[in-house]
Amino acid sequence: MNICGYIPESINEGPGLRAVVFISGCTHRCPGCFSPHTWSFQAGKPFTAELQQQIIEEIADNPLLSGLTIAGGDPFFSAAEVSRFVSRVRAALPDFSIWIYSGYTWEEIIQHTSPEYMKLLQLCDVLIDGRFVQQQRDVSLLYRGSSNQRIIDIARSLISGQPITM
Amino acid sequence: MTILRPSSAPQPVRSAAAPSDSYAHLLPLAELGDHIIHGEHESARENANLNGDSFSGKMSRLGSEYARWYTRQNVLPEPVLQAVRQNRIYIHDLDHYALGTTNCIFIPFEKLLRDGFSSGNGSLRTPNSIMTAMAQVAIIFQCQQNAQYGGVAANKLDYDLAPYVTRSFRKHLRKGLRYFAPTTGSASDLAENLEALILQAAMGDEQLAADYPQAYAYAVEETRTETYQAAESLIHNLNTMSSRGGGQIPFTSINYGTCTSLEGRLIVQSLLAATVRGLGHGETPIFPIQIFKCKQGINQQPGDPNYDLFLQAVECSSRRLYPNFANLDAPLNAEYMIPGEPDTEFATMGCRTRVVADRFGRNHLSGKGNLSFNTINLVKLGIDHGIYRQTGSAADHNPVTRQQADSIHGSIRLAGTASSSRPSDTAVPDEQGFYRALDECIAVAAEGLLHRYRIQAMQPAKASDFMMREGVWEGGDQLQPDDQVGDCLKHGTLSIGFIGLAECMKALYGVHHGEDEQVYERALSLIAYMREACDALSERHNLNFSLMATPAEGLSGKFVQNDRQLYGSIEGVTDREYYTNSFHIPVYYPVTAARKIRLEAPFHHYCNAGAISYIELDGNARHNPEAMTRIIQYALSCDISYFSINHPIDRCTACGHEGIIGSHCPDCGASEQEVHIARLRRVTGYLTGDYQTRFNPAKQAEVRDRLKHS
Repeated sequence: MNICGYIPESINEGPGLRAVVFISGCTHRCPGCFSPHTWSFQAGKPFTAELQQQIIEEIADNPLLSGLTIAGGDPFFSAAEVSRFVSRVRAALPDFSIWIYSGYTWEEIIQHTSPEYMKLLQLCDVLIDGRFVQQQRDVSLLYRGSSNQRIIDIARSLISGQPITM
Repeated sequence: MTILRPSSAPQPVRSAAAPSDSYAHLLPLAELGDHIIHGEHESARENANLNGDSFSGKMSRLGSEYARWYTRQNVLPEPVLQAVRQNRIYIHDLDHYALGTTNCIFIPFEKLLRDGFSSGNGSLRTPNSIMTAMAQVAIIFQCQQNAQYGGVAANKLDYDLAPYVTRSFRKHLRKGLRYFAPTTGSASDLAENLEALILQAAMGDEQLAADYPQAYAYAVEETRTETYQAAESLIHNLNTMSSRGGGQIPFTSINYGTCTSLEGRLIVQSLLAATVRGLGHGETPIFPIQIFKCKQGINQQPGDPNYDLFLQAVECSSRRLYPNFANLDAPLNAEYMIPGEPDTEFATMGCRTRVVADRFGRNHLSGKGNLSFNTINLVKLGIDHGIYRQTGSAADHNPVTRQQADSIHGSIRLAGTASSSRPSDTAVPDEQGFYRALDECIAVAAEGLLHRYRIQAMQPAKASDFMMREGVWEGGDQLQPDDQVGDCLKHGTLSIGFIGLAECMKALYGVHHGEDEQVYERALSLIAYMREACDALSERHNLNFSLMATPAEGLSGKFVQNDRQLYGSIEGVTDREYYTNSFHIPVYYPVTAARKIRLEAPFHHYCNAGAISYIELDGNARHNPEAMTRIIQYALSCDISYFSINHPIDRCTACGHEGIIGSHCPDCGASEQEVHIARLRRVTGYLTGDYQTRFNPAKQAEVRDRLKHS
């Protein structure tokens, strides 16, 4: 798993000040994607255990952060490894809010053949789902690029069995 | 002690070739006039809020440049002039020096509105409604602006205006009762009873609401509508009415947020709502500077009576950059606050000015202000005594000749392998020499302030007209037109400012105070030392000296230009187009928001003439008030005295879209090449319309370099 970006403090990927980690690699290849340089799984550098630890410590040391957002690429292509990272974050910061972006829809993730997808989903609080669709591009949307994308409350959605948006 | 030279006495004309900080020396007076008239003068953009290309702007420049020239030739004491020429100190608003004009003031609106006032051409009665009261506030700001050169401010506008909300409410109630009151009993009895009721009526009267629900509801609704309209017209007035001869709008600040009465709260709600709504086409209002006063138990936690107003203020700030946030609980501000006396609550005006304490007992805000301030160039002192200094040139207090300058420049280039210089072989800072030079600078800055104060003090009351006649400056109304104003002015402050602490540390030690803990401690001791020096000056001269974290409008480029000319380009010291604001961590240095706040907070405590800290956010802050709230409250908890968050607001002039705009408007797709994108940024504490056209080059460079917390 490679990391192709890290923003220690951002206001653009969820409420409050959040750290943002970009995981390399995406095969959705949405036309009009704002970061095609992150499509390659070789983009950036290896997200080693040491680097993960360093980032977790930095996040824990910042009293202003409300949460962590995982973006990409699409982190679900590296679901098993991302899950391990998120678990480490959870262990260090139990009350932290964790948001995750994916080009897959909620339905695609919960029906995916790999159990790792479901596991990663369950570790996070909020999913912003769906591919970027240029025809539905809307700059007024909060945290999203196109209007097909949804901000989904994962815990409530899992309980009710259908995606509940925020 | 300097002897004041009578301004009429002829003085020898100084050498026109002498080096200087301003055009008046570089150019013969007539040529300077040509430059201003034909718009080739850089000073056209010196002040971000003055249109130097306009007729009135040029007219004002002509007067102001002559006043500077005259002051240098005939008025400034020799040592002060020397220090200015050596680039050691800067005299702010030199054009007003010889006249004895004063800087800024907190206006006692409560008194002026209660007693009525005269503009000089006509007199006004106490207003009978909030609409009229807010119109009078604008008029008072405008009148007062003409009596001084700096900021005009309201330190507690919610308290000051609350009585006029009540007056409006009573008016609307009278009308409401006429239509909705029960009509039993004799008409005249009823009218008499109701009139007595109206004269006592208040918006928060529950009995009234219960007895006359329809009339009460009508009166409340009408009062709300009127107050909102009054606030909207105040904000429009303060952005449109020109004052100060040269076509500037008054430099207004309004503070609010602690009045918990329904009436006071309505004022704040209305001002914030009107600010969010914006001007005619929805643009962000540049004036007034708005400051929300934060206080524990009043507006900081859920359950506090004005917590909702704090959240509304954050929301407004996320869209319009104002209000800024003043910290009433910071120890230096809490010290003077007396419960139940809102005039003792900390407030700020202009870029950041703070006046609270007075050694003559007026420990409240309104009716006084800052008189003038001089700024010390810490960077130059740092270079002279730091690791880059050249033997023989250090602590050279004589004006450096062109030849010396060339040789210093040359040797630096020789010593360095690249274009920028390297530390000299000694590479040990001369701290003793540094402090000796600092003492000299403080002494000469103080000498200049005292000299200027004597000019100010001897002016007759009629010179500042409105300010004294109407008692805007406390006690002025007791004076006859020809009486000297000194006894009133002594309650004001004389401030010594400083700029470029970061570059100073870099020059002394090779790293700035954000990079190294020991250097940080030294930086803090330096500022504490300067504050002690101001306190000692206060004792010695029996006047209110205070320490200012200089905002550096127009100044940040001048100091560095001159220093670079003399010392060459020194990496991290003189290689940018500006010096870092006061004690700030450099805008280009990567540091988290929390750490920047923690590093800067302790400096606020020493700067009793005012300081501000900023955090830069990159992104659409209006979508994320949660982040803003958390950052602001963290800054307050760290005892930052005055705080604000900068974030970009771009506006597409084709479609009106506001937000962040890159090369193309995300809404209408217009390209930056074809359509003007107005980019609103904050410069030294206040906003300016569009940074690419109104900022001077040094400030433009600083804005480009700002490292943002995205």
